[in-house]
Amino acid sequence: MQIESKGGVKDLAGTIAAVAFILLASLALWDTTTMTDSDSYVFPRAIAAAMIVFCILLIAYNFINGAGDNAETDAASGAAGVTSTPRRVGLVAAMLLSSLAMPWTGFLLSGVFAFGAIMLFAMYDPWTPRRRIVFPSAALVVVLGFYTLFSKVLLVPLPIGFWFR
Amino acid sequence: MTGLDYLWQALTPLNILLALAGVVAGTVIGSLPGLTATMAVAVLVPITFSMEPASALILMGAIYTGAIYGGAYSAILLNTPGTPSAIATTFDGYPMAKQGDGDLAITLACVSSVVGGLVGAAFLLGLAPPLAEVALAFGPVEYFWLAVFGLTLISALSEGNLLKGLIGACFGLLLACIGVAEISADIRFTFGSQVLLGGIETVSALIGLYCIPVMIDLVATPDRHLKVTQKAKGFRLKEALKISWLGKFNLIRSSVIGTLVGILPGAGGSIAGLVAYSEARRSSKRSDSFGTGEPEGIQATESANNATVGGGFIPTLVLGIPGTPPDAVILGALLIQGVRTGPSLFTENGAIVYTFIFGLILATVLMLPAGLIIGRYAYKSIITIPKALLVPTVAFMTMIGTYAIRNSISDVVIMIVLGVVGWFLNRFGFSPSPIVLGLILGRIAEQGFVQAWTIGAATEDLTGMFFGRPISLVIIAFTLISLFYPLIRKRWSTAGGTANAD
Amino acid sequence: MDILRKIGATAASAAITLAASVLISGVPQAQAFPDKPVNYIIPFGPGGESDITARHQQSFFKDKFGQDLVIAYKPGGGGAVGWSQLNGMIGDGYTMMGINLPHIVVKPLQKDVGFKTEDITGVYMFHYTPDAIVVNADSDIKSLQDLIDYAKANPKKLTMSGSGKGTANHLAQVRFDKMAGVKTTYVAFKGTGKAVAALLGNQVKAEWGYTSVGAKHEGKVRLLAVAMEERHPKFPDVPTFKELGFDLVSGAYRGIAVPKSTPEDVRVKLSEMIGEINADPEFRKRMENDGMALLDVGYKDLDAFVAEQAKAYEAAAREAGVIK
Repeated sequence: MQIESKGGVKDLAGTIAAVAFILLASLALWDTTTMTDSDSYVFPRAIAAAMIVFCILLIAYNFINGAGDNAETDAASGAAGVTSTPRRVGLVAAMLLSSLAMPWTGFLLSGVFAFGAIMLFAMYDPWTPRRRIVFPSAALVVVLGFYTLFSKVLLVPLPIGFWFR
Repeated sequence: MTGLDYLWQALTPLNILLALAGVVAGTVIGSLPGLTATMAVAVLVPITFSMEPASALILMGAIYTGAIYGGAYSAILLNTPGTPSAIATTFDGYPMAKQGDGDLAITLACVSSVVGGLVGAAFLLGLAPPLAEVALAFGPVEYFWLAVFGLTLISALSEGNLLKGLIGACFGLLLACIGVAEISADIRFTFGSQVLLGGIETVSALIGLYCIPVMIDLVATPDRHLKVTQKAKGFRLKEALKISWLGKFNLIRSSVIGTLVGILPGAGGSIAGLVAYSEARRSSKRSDSFGTGEPEGIQATESANNATVGGGFIPTLVLGIPGTPPDAVILGALLIQGVRTGPSLFTENGAIVYTFIFGLILATVLMLPAGLIIGRYAYKSIITIPKALLVPTVAFMTMIGTYAIRNSISDVVIMIVLGVVGWFLNRFGFSPSPIVLGLILGRIAEQGFVQAWTIGAATEDLTGMFFGRPISLVIIAFTLISLFYPLIRKRWSTAGGTANAD
Repeated sequence: MDILRKIGATAASAAITLAASVLISGVPQAQAFPDKPVNYIIPFGPGGESDITARHQQSFFKDKFGQDLVIAYKPGGGGAVGWSQLNGMIGDGYTMMGINLPHIVVKPLQKDVGFKTEDITGVYMFHYTPDAIVVNADSDIKSLQDLIDYAKANPKKLTMSGSGKGTANHLAQVRFDKMAGVKTTYVAFKGTGKAVAALLGNQVKAEWGYTSVGAKHEGKVRLLAVAMEERHPKFPDVPTFKELGFDLVSGAYRGIAVPKSTPEDVRVKLSEMIGEINADPEFRKRMENDGMALLDVGYKDLDAFVAEQAKAYEAAAREAGVIK
């Protein structure tokens, strides 16, 4: 949301994304051939076709307005500060792994793991003795609190996990 | 205006207590991404078995109205609509919060929600039976055009690059096709995968596309989440009331739009918010500042989505056709209690209906103090919690909330993957809003189109079907106006030589 | 020695008893069942007819068996998401799931949806909502014969709304068209509510709906015929298709299934319990008032019942082009 793509700037990332979208739309078009009912394929076919047209237009536009650099694109969201890619990857990995493991580990264990891992990735201040005690206990309170709210009050059947049954 | 005598029945201590408890619980539930009004109401159903029908309705209506308002918190503070109704609130709410005006945005949302809720309830009270006919006048083709009208917002939301906005919308429209087709029941784009069989659930997609990128960028820097420019200034209620008074026409217009859209079965709060936003932007003197933290944007969406509560009850109570998903649950609860809906409900069971409507109004009024206090607390906690606790808490909430929508682990995985995709696309200049627009409007557009086409082909009058119906023509006209109005206005202002807009 | 042997024997028997009791505690005894809340999963969203019938059962379950029936939703894929996960759930009798015909027959025939009809262990089919042809109360189509005459005079021009494709409504339309020798146009809507709205708003001429539509919208709509063996007690004046010469008994059937691992005695017990609720006169009254028709197909007869229905559904679905 923070990034403005300025006209006249050769937008390499956008061009690559457009190519990827063309591939995606082609995949969708191919899948529509397995549908028998015209009610099911008319709409997705029209959309996929439109998407390909828009992508080609974007690529053409980017080539015609060629010159320029695209270094700005990356700087915009960094907001002058140092950004940490490992922390980003860590956040996503922690969330994905804990969700994928959920059928075995159950929601509670997954939740505690994800919370703990993300807390480490989001920690920029030094670990003072006070924080060492307060943060993990706050983590437990939040996880257990929400777990109880959802499973006992809202009666959501949160997964127990194969390991525990 | 009938049934004023029932006002006193609505004001029993029990009902007041239920209305207050409902609004508070609803606001909290709505503010948690993933917990929707539908779910909140569904959880209550067994409790209401042992209640008087009117009290049960008041409790459910209060929760519903609170949840629609509560969705604004996470929209403003976390860029994540807590309920789908609050999508358009993120457009200006989050920028405002980033600029240090999160408290003002929340108070403004509260005032607007109360106004919207009262307008919706007033229509329900006074004009329900005639307005219910609107629900019936809207045929498939009208829904199709309404969706197209909503899609014109792409041009406003694509932030400088219309082509990218259009591509993003197409992506969203294709995402909407995944799973079992709404109409034809064909299974599309699953590529044999069980994970995709259920399709992309809208709320989980919203959480993924809006919230995960914010989280990803939050962990990457030590900076604070929201800028805090000054010491807390209280509720900033005076400021908010002043802005509301200046924007009164916007508030009223948006509330009426919200009521009307709420009457349409299957449209709902998200579309009401989007349509009201689009109209507010078009008619505003400051259209250019929409999307960068414009208070008028919040006023439009928040008054419109709360007006759908009253609006949605109109077809629910008069016709027995639910206006919105939570209405369907409420209707079911009424059926089990043995209350028959229909026009006769207003005459034969006036006690229930009017007590309920006054209860709803009461709940809406109570939302002002309750919402302000909860909102202030929410704002304070978001800005004071250390990052190392805020990020994991929000991440955990997105996981548990997404799971709870359909009790599905697949939805959680899809949510995270979409979040990562959204983060990359955002860096490449594709903003998430057009994708979301496509995802939400795609289903409505497709259903409307296919049904209209089927009926048109059967009656051998396709042109008449698509372009020959009065309501359709009005919507088409609005679509054209919102597409070309910026051009026309530019021409006017240059021709006149006086630029009164900035 | 003797003592030692005795101790050994005692220990062994104690161990066996312990092991047995551990095993048994996993499998609740028939008398004690249920001793905790039972989860009832609806593979659709809240507010639909599957939800409402489950809610009807909910209060009776609590009264009769002293435990809560906890309703949860697992919507997606037209029910397929829930059914494909059913057999992975714990089979101790405390987890059961709603099943719907024709869905559990038609869905697996379309594409691989993660379950087959025969994977589902149904214990009871407790009711069905019979198909019915519905028109507006002020429509000039007064009887089924009027409708057939109109359809014959205007082939394909008679538009009829209905809920979804491959559903009870749609398959009934296909079968009826064939029996009556007419061609009508079926317009699928998402859910009965929207199909009715289309009828009331005169977007379509008639609707393939359910008897429940007649109950919900009394006075505004007229039922032309119902697809039941005998007339519905709530609509004594509406003829059945059978009376009018069309052998059509169909509708949306609902029942309850359990995970495959559920022991035999628990399946039987659950079947009896649901039968008991079904036999309650107050429950019957409420269901019939909503336009539903009750059905009693217990655990033993269920497979045969589903198999018989499946044949008709499959043929109609093939005819309709829903499956290849």
